[in-house]
Amino acid sequence: MSPEGIPAIVAGMETCPTFEQGKTGMKIIVIGTGQSLRGDDAAGLEAVRLWREMYPQTANRPEVWAKTVELIGLGLLDLLAEAEAAIIVDAVHSSAPAGTIHRLSPEQVSAFTPDSQFAHGWGLAETLALCRTLYSSRAECRLTLIGIEAGQVEMGAGLSLEVGAALPAAARLIEEEVQQKLAG
Amino acid sequence: MNKTIEVPALARVEGEGGLYIGIKDGQAAEIRLDIYEPPRFFEGFLVGRYLQEVPDITARICGICPVAYQMSSVYALENALGVTVTPPVRALRRLMYCGEYIESHALHIYLLQAPDLLGHESALSLAAVAPEVVKTALRLKKIGNQILIAIGGRSVHPVNVCVGGFYRWPDSEPLKKLLSDLEWGLEAARECVRWAATLPYPELEVDYEFVALNHPHEYGVIEGVIWSSKGRKLPIAEYEKAYIESHVKRSNALHSHAVDGNSYLVGPISRLNLNHEQFLPQARVALKESGLKLPLRNPYKSLIARAVELVHFYAEAIQLVRAYQPEGAAHLELKLKAGEGAGATEAPRGLLYHRYQIDEQGCVLFAKITPPTAQNLPRIEADLYALAPQLVAMPQEAATLTAEHLVRSYDPCISCATHFLKLKIEVK
Repeated sequence: MSPEGIPAIVAGMETCPTFEQGKTGMKIIVIGTGQSLRGDDAAGLEAVRLWREMYPQTANRPEVWAKTVELIGLGLLDLLAEAEAAIIVDAVHSSAPAGTIHRLSPEQVSAFTPDSQFAHGWGLAETLALCRTLYSSRAECRLTLIGIEAGQVEMGAGLSLEVGAALPAAARLIEEEVQQKLAG
Repeated sequence: MNKTIEVPALARVEGEGGLYIGIKDGQAAEIRLDIYEPPRFFEGFLVGRYLQEVPDITARICGICPVAYQMSSVYALENALGVTVTPPVRALRRLMYCGEYIESHALHIYLLQAPDLLGHESALSLAAVAPEVVKTALRLKKIGNQILIAIGGRSVHPVNVCVGGFYRWPDSEPLKKLLSDLEWGLEAARECVRWAATLPYPELEVDYEFVALNHPHEYGVIEGVIWSSKGRKLPIAEYEKAYIESHVKRSNALHSHAVDGNSYLVGPISRLNLNHEQFLPQARVALKESGLKLPLRNPYKSLIARAVELVHFYAEAIQLVRAYQPEGAAHLELKLKAGEGAGATEAPRGLLYHRYQIDEQGCVLFAKITPPTAQNLPRIEADLYALAPQLVAMPQEAATLTAEHLVRSYDPCISCATHFLKLKIEVK
C-alpha cells in the first residue's frame, strides 16, 4: 500500500525462507505441504511448523531439513533426490473423522490413485507415482507419509477445531519418524 | 449423423473448464468452451495498491508464467511514469524470460501434449514406456526453473522484479554455474525438434490471423510493436483500438476479438510465423531441419513451434549468461507522477497486455489485464467448429480425444484467463 513496501521486499530477497536451496549434509527431509488458504488443507504445513517449535533440537540438526511448500508439484522429485529418507505431511481425505492421523508406508503410498485437480494435473500422488516410475532407486528411499484427515477445505477458512487439536499428536509422530530414520 | 461429445473435466490443462460439442446432421450445431473456474478479480485487487506491489501481485495470477505477468506490468507502469530501463536491466529481464519459456515449454511439450501424440493417457503412462523422454523433459524444465531461482530467488513467483529494474543484481556465480547445463539443454532442445517433427499430428489447416509482438532486432518478447498477419502494426499503447474483450455469458473468462469481429491467434505459432527471421542461428537451423513449411496453420503442430522456441531460448540464455556483468544501479530511482501506461510482452502462451492508471502517489486507480488464453478462447472454439466434420466420422472415444487434444495443443491457462476444463460432445 505504500512505498515502504520496497525495502520489505528487498529484505525478503535476502532472508526469504522459500529460497530453493538444499541443505548441505542433509539426509532426512521433512516436507509439510498443503494450501494455507483452504481450511484443513493447511494441516501438513501447520504440523511441520509445530514440530519445529516443539522439537528444535531435532529440526535444527544439520542432517535434517524441514520445508513447508504450498504447491509442491514436480519440485518434489528434486527434493527427494537430495535425501536418504523423507517424511511428507499432508492433509488427506478418507472416510475417517476429521483430525485422524494416518501413517502410510511407501507401499501404502503407492496405492494412491493419481486423480489430482492440481494445476496442470500434477499433485503429490502424481509426482510420487512418477518418482517410482522414473527413479526406482530414489523411490526406495525411506518415505513415510503422515496424513491428517481434513474436515473442511473451504476457501479462506482456517483449520477446523478437530484438525487444530490433532496437530500436537502429528508433531509427535513426525518426531518419532525422524528419530527412527536418524537411527537408521 | 448426430453426435455429442462431452468432457466434463479436461486433464492436462491449467484451470477449470468444460467442453461441449453438439453435432447435428454432420455439422457442428453447438460448441462451448465453458470456463467455470471462479473469476479471480486480480484487476480489482490492484486498485489502491502502490505500483511496486503490482509485479508481485500479478505474478500470482499464474504459477507457470509468473514472469510474463511481472514483465507486462512493469513495462506498463514504466510507460505511465515515462521511464526506460537501462540496457543491463533489459538484458537481465530477457534472461529471466528465457528461464520461463524453457520451464513452460518443456512442461507442455513433453508432459502435457506429447502423451496425446504418443497414445498415452498421461505423462505417467508415457514415463513407464519411455522413461528417458520424461527424464529429459524434467531436466530441461529444471534448468529453466534454476534460471528463475538464480535471478528471482525461487522457481515459482520470483521476487526480484520491480518497476524500474530489479531490487538487486543477482550474483554472477550461480548464473555462470548454469552454463554447462544450458549447453546440455541446447543440444537436448535441438534433439527435441527432431523428435517433435516425427510425431503423428492430426490434420487440420486453419486460416488464422496471427498476432504477436515484433521487434526488428531480436525475437519479440519484450517491447516492439503488435504485428498482425493482416498487415496491422500497432504501438503497444494502441492495442485496445484493434483488439477488444467482451463478456460471454457461459464463461467466467472474457473473449477477445479484433475490432472487425474476427478471432485471432496468439502464441507460439503466431510468433514462429511472424518472427522466425529474428531467431538466433541455432533455432533457424532447427526450424529448417524440422521441415516445417511456413506459415504453419496446424494448431496441433504448435508443439514443434514450442520446440524450436526452446532451442532459441536456450541459445539466448547462454549468450546472456556469458555476457552477464552487473553494472550500475539495478533499478531506476522513480519520480512518481499521475499517469496512464500500457505494456505488452509475449508470455509463452502469447501476447499479454496490461494497462494501468496511477495517481501522483503511484497508487493504482485502474488496471486492465488481457491474458493470452482469453484472446485464444474464441479461436479454440472456431478451430473445433472446423474440426467437427472429422469428429463425426470418428468413433466416440477417438473423437473425444481428438477434440481434447486440440484444446490442449493451445496450452490454455484457464486460471490466467479467469479464469479446468471438462468436455462433452453430443451427436443428435
